[in-house]
Amino acid sequence: MDYAIETNGLTRVYETYKKPEGVWNSIRGFWDRQYERKVALNPTDLKIEGGQIIGLVGGNGAGKTTLLKLLSGLIYPSGGEAKVLGSSPWSRDRNFLRRISILLGQKNQLWWDIPAADSYELLTRIYDLEPIAAKKRVMDLAELLQCRELLQVQLRRLSLGERMKMEIIGSLLHQPAVLFLDEPTIGLDIVAQTNIREFLAEYVKRERPTVILTSHYMDDISMLSDRLLLISKGSIVYDGTVNGFMSKTERMQKLSVKLLKPPEKEIVLSERLTIPAGAEGLSVELPSQEMGSLLHRLMTISPVEQLKIEEANFEDVIRQFLETESRRRQARHPFPT
Amino acid sequence: MIQPILTAGIEVALWTAIFAGSGQATIGSYPRESYLAYALWAAFFARISSNWMYEFRMIEEIDTGSVNSVLARPISFYEYYLSQFLGYKVITSLISLTVPFILTLFIGVSTYHSRFPAALLLVFFYLVLVHTVSFSIASFAFFFNRIHSLTMAKNIALWLLMGELFPLDLIPEPYRSWVIHLPFSSGVYIPVGYLTGRLGHADLLKAFVSVALGLLVLAPASSALWLAGRKRYSGTGA
Amino acid sequence: MRKYMNILYGFFKASAIADLEYRLNIVMKVVTDIIWYLAQVSVFEVIFRNVDQVGGWNLHSARVFIAALFVVDSIWMLLFSENLDRLSDKVRRGELDLLLSKPVNSQFMMSFQRLSTPYLINILITIGYLNWAFFSLPEPPSGWRLLMLIVLVPCSLMITYGMRFFFSAAALIFARAENINYIWWQFYRLGMRPDALYPPWLRYIVLTVIPVGFLASVPARLILGSNEWGFIVAAIGLGAFMVWVSTRFWAFALKRYSSASS
Repeated sequence: MDYAIETNGLTRVYETYKKPEGVWNSIRGFWDRQYERKVALNPTDLKIEGGQIIGLVGGNGAGKTTLLKLLSGLIYPSGGEAKVLGSSPWSRDRNFLRRISILLGQKNQLWWDIPAADSYELLTRIYDLEPIAAKKRVMDLAELLQCRELLQVQLRRLSLGERMKMEIIGSLLHQPAVLFLDEPTIGLDIVAQTNIREFLAEYVKRERPTVILTSHYMDDISMLSDRLLLISKGSIVYDGTVNGFMSKTERMQKLSVKLLKPPEKEIVLSERLTIPAGAEGLSVELPSQEMGSLLHRLMTISPVEQLKIEEANFEDVIRQFLETESRRRQARHPFPT
Repeated sequence: MIQPILTAGIEVALWTAIFAGSGQATIGSYPRESYLAYALWAAFFARISSNWMYEFRMIEEIDTGSVNSVLARPISFYEYYLSQFLGYKVITSLISLTVPFILTLFIGVSTYHSRFPAALLLVFFYLVLVHTVSFSIASFAFFFNRIHSLTMAKNIALWLLMGELFPLDLIPEPYRSWVIHLPFSSGVYIPVGYLTGRLGHADLLKAFVSVALGLLVLAPASSALWLAGRKRYSGTGA
Repeated sequence: MRKYMNILYGFFKASAIADLEYRLNIVMKVVTDIIWYLAQVSVFEVIFRNVDQVGGWNLHSARVFIAALFVVDSIWMLLFSENLDRLSDKVRRGELDLLLSKPVNSQFMMSFQRLSTPYLINILITIGYLNWAFFSLPEPPSGWRLLMLIVLVPCSLMITYGMRFFFSAAALIFARAENINYIWWQFYRLGMRPDALYPPWLRYIVLTVIPVGFLASVPARLILGSNEWGFIVAAIGLGAFMVWVSTRFWAFALKRYSSASS
């Protein structure tokens, strides 16, 4: 069958000039350069059906953005092939570009000094859209994002979350068939994150584009994605459903507690966990299912001044996942050949 | 360093062409050598007598609000930047002025090398005025955003008034007296004219007086501007 | 073509809205350039008050020369001052990524997206000055010669664009933008004086290798009554050639960029 996105051994390697130390070596480097090869993406085979939402997850520098930029044709691959909507992305064919959209969460495509509505007018010209229809679409999307009244405000006067909403409208204006969203919720507060998440869910249901979404926040992915790709050190290490991934990892949470006053004698919370006498509090990571009983026990023993529960660092979750995976593999093949 | 050499090259070429193309032996009663010497020295003096970088930094500090850290020091903003500015200029002028100094020693263009210290002294006195102008412009940053264009406009105006483009005595009267008597001529025209023999000791002394008068007028004006700006600044709580 | 004119109009509108936000900035841009014009004018006015003529140019023809330079310069400022001067900056901030994802020629977007609309005022002033300089010539040639500027000014702009683009894109590759911009400015300065002032070898250079002579010298000479028609052909040919070279160079720089950036 035809896939919306298909890659075959897609690879990307960077060569960076390694700056040598010292004056003499710098001079030598003038003709005898040492290059450092860094693999951003190992040979990758992917098949993505149209209308799917793919969550692409990984730590910083894992290769998420590289994959996104390759698929949208912004950078050339070092090897392999890719077909997006039937054409090779880096040929940058106009008709191809008209059908995709890329949103980079940390960059603005809209103009800073003018209202978003005026930037949309410019985009209407760039994408050759019918002006009245485009205006109507802006209004519809703004309605859905609840930001109609902000369309006429200069971008620089908006908050980060409001600006992101405007950027999202801009990237959806031409009804792209494939949508690359790189960190659309980065740096936003919880309310804005939820808003945008809900909007994307609704939008995707309505228009059925193929979406590749990267995010630092697991919630973005778990709520929106049909399929999860976990990428680590340039390789895809997990490809499957979100639930499948969750069941393979214990969901860890981080608990920080400050006690009202240091306990006079040691507090025993569980077999593994104690608060020594005189300590001001504790900070610990533990599986979420143990959280309830632990808190219950703590509260009954000692009054608490401050309490904070955070999602464990995503990188930790991935690391933990990779560790369990490799252990499982070893268990299956105890005698590697 | 390379910049004034290139500028001097183009200006020298221009004056050579003017003399060659016009067939005149003198222009405004001065011979070709005098103009070549003027063009050479003027390029270097103009570079010393203008302020881009420190004015830019002062404006940035006020724009970004990091001015507060300077205000907390036991030295005024004005003095803090004046000392940095002059220090920087001492070093750059020592290095860059050796080029025309040595060149003029070898090529027979008219230059009185013994007059060099006095000419340089005038330039450094003038730099205090330049800094005061920059300080006034930076004070505007309290009132308006994006005032870097003001620096641009001022420096182009001074480019003309200092006499980098041509010796100011070529200007027809009555503008000529006006422009020469303004303190800005002390940036290039007076010191270079003095060095190359267009002007005498009396002109140099007059220039010192003119710069001093300029400072007398501008110093209180700029400090008033600064105070008004600071008041407005703290008023907005930025 | 129509699409691109339409987009250009869109850029113009958006730029105008953005520029009108900062009123003081508009005034300062206009004033700064007027002071710059005055400085340039004064050089010629002063020199020709002390010398009758230099290399065939007198005060009146020099005024036409400088006016032609101003017209080209003011249009240049409107179209390219913001775009090409800050090209390497913009690339470093990653703005190129978003441009490349648009279904429009990226060089076009890069070259025209931010117009400096305050300079419209300057264009009116410089055209006015050119008219005055032309018709106050002691024996003004017939007025139709001014119409040649409709062809010659775009050619000057195209030639200058090609050179400037080369420098901006080179800054992209070599990453030390200030020095490269400075070298460009020195070349530009060579074009700010009539080519006849230069010794023969330099004159040859400004008409061939570094064709800044086409900036104002060639147009001024032609409207002043010279019948060197070959120069019109040369200007058109060179203009087209320079723009073509710039597109090749952009393709090269882009390929490099796309292979090197992360």
